[in-house]
Amino acid sequence: MSNRIEALGSAALSLVRAGVELWRVYVSTIAGVMRGFSRRKDRRGHGGRARQSRAQSELVRQLHAIGNKSIVFIVITLGALGMVMTYQACLQLGRVTGDYSQVGSQLLRLIISDFGPTLTAMMLATRVGAGIAAEIGSMKVTEQIDALRMSGVLPIDYLIVPRFIACLVMMLMLAVLGSAVMYAAGGLTAKYSFGVNPNTFFDLSFIRPRHLVLFVVKCLAYGAAIPIVAGFCGLRARGSSEGVGWATTAAVIGSSFAVIVLDFILSASALWLTGGDL
Amino acid sequence: MTEPAIRISEVHKAYGSRRVLDGISLDLARGTKLGLIGPAASGKSVLCKLVCGLEQPDRGEIEVFGERIVGKREVDLGPLRRRIGMLFQNYALFDFLTVEQNVAFPLEQGAAGTLSAETIAERVAARLRAVGLAGSEAKLTAELSGGMKKRVGIARATVADAELVIYDEPSAGLDPVTTQKIYDLLSADQARTGATVLAISSDVAALAGFVDEIAFLYDHRVVYRGPAATIADAPNALVRQFVRGDLEGPLDQAGPGMASLDRSIK
Repeated sequence: MSNRIEALGSAALSLVRAGVELWRVYVSTIAGVMRGFSRRKDRRGHGGRARQSRAQSELVRQLHAIGNKSIVFIVITLGALGMVMTYQACLQLGRVTGDYSQVGSQLLRLIISDFGPTLTAMMLATRVGAGIAAEIGSMKVTEQIDALRMSGVLPIDYLIVPRFIACLVMMLMLAVLGSAVMYAAGGLTAKYSFGVNPNTFFDLSFIRPRHLVLFVVKCLAYGAAIPIVAGFCGLRARGSSEGVGWATTAAVIGSSFAVIVLDFILSASALWLTGGDL
Repeated sequence: MTEPAIRISEVHKAYGSRRVLDGISLDLARGTKLGLIGPAASGKSVLCKLVCGLEQPDRGEIEVFGERIVGKREVDLGPLRRRIGMLFQNYALFDFLTVEQNVAFPLEQGAAGTLSAETIAERVAARLRAVGLAGSEAKLTAELSGGMKKRVGIARATVADAELVIYDEPSAGLDPVTTQKIYDLLSADQARTGATVLAISSDVAALAGFVDEIAFLYDHRVVYRGPAATIADAPNALVRQFVRGDLEGPLDQAGPGMASLDRSIK
């Protein structure tokens, strides 16, 4: 019995320590972004320019890896989900009222305030989160992170900050694209499966600025959470390839979980702030 | 009296229940060369990482160039680390950079980036020539053999003329001729820069030709420290057996895992 209590206590302590470490990675990343902006002015000598140009090319590389390489994945997934959701909604409405006039406008509201950013983030958490954790984790177990530190480089500035900025930017872009594809796919399904007039379906009249604000806030929150959780898991990798595998799995689970928890918190906060009239 | 380059006082380090260092104390004067030897897993690499602040001790004090490093924040350790060059046991080369970019990395990141492009290129080319890797500048590290990786690691550790250089197994994976050439190069470098050197090697004979003194780590402590030239005749029986590679002796019974290894041989 005492062994079980000891194990429980030890697990709780590890969880608290991991939470504190995650918080430190988050704070250090924000500080790293600030340092990056202030360093832009300091370009003395070739070393300064080389650092700057390497930082910029790394950011471009990450924008491409996180954004461009995710486009097909996001478009196919969200397009298919838009079709399924519209089909199911029309099917149920057809059985009950037969009135499809609200399907398009309500789907759009749902996409903008919830499904667009959240589903895009879930997709990014699996694709990008795993990639970030594997890359940083393998650098950790081969002591490349220690070698960076020995050159006076902060690993968070060098490895996590570019991924953080790229993920923030690309999360927003991909969510806009994914939401548009989801809505368009829903419109095509409604027209060809249930004969809904596109003019009726593509109805923007229910959209309020608050929906757009919630869309942007969710994109930024998810875009920040995914690289930080994944980078944190990568930095905690130990041992050899097994440790990298563990870090990758933990990154996918952790960043997906972070997206779900943030979705709940942000949606609940938005409902509370608008008095339930979202 | 000048301040030592490294001062380690009563340092303890454990990973969970595994004790690694148990009250180690060691001083290293500026401009001198100390070799660290000891059985596998005796904490030699951990001690080097503690000196650079890459790991923090559980207890004890460490000063490098008079600067306390225990409990120091990562961001504050940067300037001190730029005064230290380190060759990692497993090379730790950046696999996303070419050989040339790997060697240039400490120069680009250090000294507030004040060196010109020409100076960096010249120093990198000279270092690569010195380690026999001229012509391999554009190669990625994945295209190199183990010995070549080791030499790139040496070039990266020494390119910035650091005041303290730590070599973790500089000759591992190298043939005897290259080993001798590498040690000659390290000696010439040290004579030129006057750097303090801390070196770990399992090749005790080659190491003894390079360093001034050798310390023997055993049972989580420094149990012997003496002149490198006479290490094979050290008064400590453990050291003598380790250096000579004798099968019979005190290490035979007391070393970690030695008893089971001994049973397997018999």
